[in-house]
Amino acid sequence: MIYKIISKAEFKKFIDALVRDNTSFGPRRVDTDCRGEKVYQFLQVASFNDIAFDYTATASSAKHFFLPFCEELSRFVFHDQDWDQHITYETNPIVLIGLRACDISAINILDDVLLNGNFPSPYYLGKRKNTFVIGMDHLPLPDCFCKSMNHHTVQTGFNIFCSDIGEEYYLAVNSSKAFNFLKEFNTRDPLDEDNCRLVARRKLISNSFLSEVDVTGLPSILDIEFDSPVWEKWGNKCLNCGTCAMVCPTCYCYAVEESFETNLKGATRQKRLYSCNLVNFAEVAGGHNFRPKNGDRLKYRYYHQHRGFAENDNQQICVGCNRCGRACLTKINPKDVINDLRMEKESCMICASPSPDRT
Amino acid sequence: MHDMRFAIPRQDINREDFASSIPDFNRKSEIMKTDKGYKCIITNIVRLTEQEKLFRLRIIDTRERNIFRFRPGQFLMLELPGYGDVPISISSSNSNHEFLELCIRKAGHVTSALFSVVEGTHVAIRGPFGSAFPMDEMTGNNVLLIAGGLGIAPLRAPLFWINEHRDRFFNVHMLYGAKDPEQLLFTYQFNEWKMINHITLHTIVEHSTAGWQGKTGIITDLFNDISFDQKMTYAIVCGPPVMFKFVCSYLDKAGIPMNRMFVSLERRMHCGMGKCCRCMVGSTFTCVDGPVFDYWSVMNLKEAI
Amino acid sequence: MKKQGFTFEKLKIASFDFTCCEGCQLQLTNKESTLTDFFELLDIRTFREISSEKYDDYDIALIEGSISRQDEVERLTTIRSQAKTLIAFGTCACFGGVNSLKNKFPLKEVVAEVYPDMPVETLLVRKVSDVVKVDLSIHGCPVNKEEVERILVNLVTGSQVSLPKYPVCVECKELLNTCLFELGEICLGPITRAGCNAVCTTGKTPCLGCRGPSEEINMPAFLELIKERKLSQNDFQEKITFYNAFEAFTSYEA
Repeated sequence: MIYKIISKAEFKKFIDALVRDNTSFGPRRVDTDCRGEKVYQFLQVASFNDIAFDYTATASSAKHFFLPFCEELSRFVFHDQDWDQHITYETNPIVLIGLRACDISAINILDDVLLNGNFPSPYYLGKRKNTFVIGMDHLPLPDCFCKSMNHHTVQTGFNIFCSDIGEEYYLAVNSSKAFNFLKEFNTRDPLDEDNCRLVARRKLISNSFLSEVDVTGLPSILDIEFDSPVWEKWGNKCLNCGTCAMVCPTCYCYAVEESFETNLKGATRQKRLYSCNLVNFAEVAGGHNFRPKNGDRLKYRYYHQHRGFAENDNQQICVGCNRCGRACLTKINPKDVINDLRMEKESCMICASPSPDRT
Repeated sequence: MHDMRFAIPRQDINREDFASSIPDFNRKSEIMKTDKGYKCIITNIVRLTEQEKLFRLRIIDTRERNIFRFRPGQFLMLELPGYGDVPISISSSNSNHEFLELCIRKAGHVTSALFSVVEGTHVAIRGPFGSAFPMDEMTGNNVLLIAGGLGIAPLRAPLFWINEHRDRFFNVHMLYGAKDPEQLLFTYQFNEWKMINHITLHTIVEHSTAGWQGKTGIITDLFNDISFDQKMTYAIVCGPPVMFKFVCSYLDKAGIPMNRMFVSLERRMHCGMGKCCRCMVGSTFTCVDGPVFDYWSVMNLKEAI
Repeated sequence: MKKQGFTFEKLKIASFDFTCCEGCQLQLTNKESTLTDFFELLDIRTFREISSEKYDDYDIALIEGSISRQDEVERLTTIRSQAKTLIAFGTCACFGGVNSLKNKFPLKEVVAEVYPDMPVETLLVRKVSDVVKVDLSIHGCPVNKEEVERILVNLVTGSQVSLPKYPVCVECKELLNTCLFELGEICLGPITRAGCNAVCTTGKTPCLGCRGPSEEINMPAFLELIKERKLSQNDFQEKITFYNAFEAFTSYEA
C-alpha cells in the first residue's frame, strides 16, 4: 500500500477527471423521508458535484454492481433440431465512488464466497475486475454496528481509500492503476503530523459507535438455539417482503429462471437475487416447502448471515451496516434479534426481559 | 474531444484468475465455463411406470465424453433449453463412459416437459456435482442397499459398482419397497442382480394388487428376513425422508454405527455449485457437501429429515 | 412451429369484455418491439379490439371485467362451456376491481345516482370465479403486457405458468426506490403480489394492491405497522378495499 495526501480541491479535480472518462456511480440524495432525514442511493454521477460526499449511508448497498438483481446467465439459440449456448462474462469498467469501509468489506466477503471454492463465478469476477473502487471513511450512524463485526476498517478490496483529515484526504492507494492516475495530480507523501491526524480520525470513528452487538460465540449459540421461541417471536413480525436481503450488501442467494423468447427462436437463463424470507425459497417440485413458517425463514437468514456456510469456513457474512434493520418496516434488526437470542440463551425463557428498543 | 486518459481499460477474465481455486474431482467442467453444459443426445427413452421414465444420454462431443467422469451417488443438472434445469442423480455405472442413464419422475415443470421429448432431442448436462458414496471404504464388508420408491435411482449407481467389483464385498442385501407392484422399477433387472451378481433381493409393497406374489407391508418389515453382522456392515439408504427416519433409527438400534449409514438427500437446487443457497440445510449445502451424507451428519443437520 | 423436438401449436384464443374499461385487452396490442412475434403465437378467433371477425371455436378465453348483469352471467357460462382454458384477465375479472366499489352502497341508491331517470337492470359486482371456474388468473390494473406475453409463451410451449409469490417490495427494492412508508404514505406493496415491476411505487404512487395478496401475507404484522406508524385508518381502509382484492382480509381493522 502506498499512502498519499491530497488536498480536497485537488481531489475534486481527480474525481472530475475519473468521472468524465468512465461510467461512474456515487452516493446521491434521492429523497427526504418523513422524519426529515436524507435518503441516499448509489446512482450514476456525471461530475464531482453530483456526489453527496457528506452522505451518511445509502439505503441500498452497492452489491448490485457486482451481483445484479437480474442477470442473464446464458442464452440458447435454436436452429432446426439443435441449439447453441452463448455465455458472456464481459462487462464494461465502472468507477464506484464513496463506498464505506463496511461496504468494501462486504465485497471482500462476496469475493471469498463467490471466487473461492470449487466453482468460482466468472460472472462475478468479470464485474469485480472491472470495477474501480474509491472508499471513503465516515462517522457511524447511531445504529451501525460494523465495529462489532470488525468491519469498521478495511485493508484490501479497494483501489483508493480516502480518510478525511480536515482540509485534506489521507489516501491509501492500493492499485497501480490508481497510483498512475494520481501521478497527474498534485499529491504529496504523508508527514508525521498527517499520520497523527489519520490516527486521530480513526480513533474518533472508532469511539463514535453507539451500537454494539456481542457476536462472540454466536455460531455456537445459533446452533444450540435452533428451536428457540425467539425465532417465532420475530418471525411473527416478518412480512416476508424480502427487503432485508435486497438492501443487504452480502446477501447473494438467487433463483434461476428460464424462459423462451417470444419468437421462440431462443431462450434465456436468468438469475434473480432471491431472499430466504420469501415464502417459496425452500419449496421443491411437487409443492413441499421445507420452511413453511415465517420464523423458520427468518432463522435461516440469521443462520446464513451469522453462522455462515461450510463454503466460507463458517465466517460470519454480516458486516454490521444495519441496512436491513433500517429498511425493515416491522423493525426486525440484527442487534435486537441477536441480543434477544443471547438473553434467551443466558437466562431461562420465563425471566427473559423483552428485547430492548431500537436506538 | 478530450484524450480519455483516465478511462479504465476493460479487463477480461482469464484462466489465471482461477489459478488459486481449489482443483477438485467435483469440478470436471472447464473453469471458465461453469454454466456451459455438455451437449447430449437422448438416445433412448424407456417408460418404467406411469410416473417414471429412464433416459439414456450420450455426450455428443468425443473429447467431452472422454473427460466426463463421476462417482456413484453424484448428480448432474439436466437442462432442457427453454424449460430450465433439474438436479438428477445418475443411475448408471460410473465405468460406463459411453452413456449415462437418468431415471426421472414427472414431478415439476421441467420433468413434465422432459416427458414429452422424443429420442434424438439435444439436452445439456452440467456436473457432476456433489458427494458420492464411499465405495472403497465399504470394501470388505456386507452392504445393505435400502431403497424406497424412486430411491432406487440414486442407489443404482452404487449397485452397479458393487456388481462390477462383487468379489470385494461379502453379503449384499437389497431391500426395496414401493407403494404397489406397478411402482417397482427396474424389475427387468431383478433376475440379473439375483442370479449373476448374487445380490439377495427383498421386495415389499404397501398395497398389493392381483397377481402380486411377494410381501405386503412397509420397508422395515423386511428387516425380519435378514441378518447381518453389525460390525462389518454398511448401509445405503435412499427414499422419501419419512423412510430415512424409520430405517436409520432401526439400523442405529441394530448396532450399525451412524457413520456407516449413508443417505442421499433431496432439495430444491438452482445452481449445483453452492452459490444459490436454495438447497441449504442448516449451514450445509445439499449440492456441494451432499447429496450423500452419513447419518451422523444428517442428525447434525437440523430439519434435514 | 417446430422447436427442439417439440411441435408447438398456435393458441386458438378469444378475448371477451364484461364490466370493464377494456384497458387490459388494449394492453395486448402494446409493446410494439415484439408485437408481430407475439401475434405469431396466437390464432385469434374473436377479439373486438383488433378484428371484426368472430369465430366460436377457441380453446383459450380471456375474460376481462367483472360480472354485474344477468346477461353477462349467461354469456360467461356459454364461453366457459366452449373454452378449454378460461383466463381471468385483469384485476376486475380476478377480484371485481374498482367496479366493486358499487357493492358498498345499496343497489337502489347506486342506480338512482348514476341513471336517475332510467330503469337499469344490475346486480352486485362479482369476480369471474364467483360465476364460473377459472383456470388461470392474470392480475393487474391493467395487466402487464410483459407478463401476459410470458404466460402465453408458456402456454404455447407447455412450460409451467407461474406468477411471482413474493410481494412488490422485492421489485421496488431492485429499482432502488425509497420506501413510501418512509415518506409517510400507506403502500400495499409489502402484501401485494409482484409482477408489475413496481411501476406505481417507482412513480411515487403508493401501491393499491391491484394484483391481490401475495402468498401467505402477514396481515397482523402489516396492520401493526399501520398502527405503529400512526397512519390514517381511513386511508388504509380506502386502499385495501379499492380493488376488492383483499376481500378475504378486509375484516381486519388496523
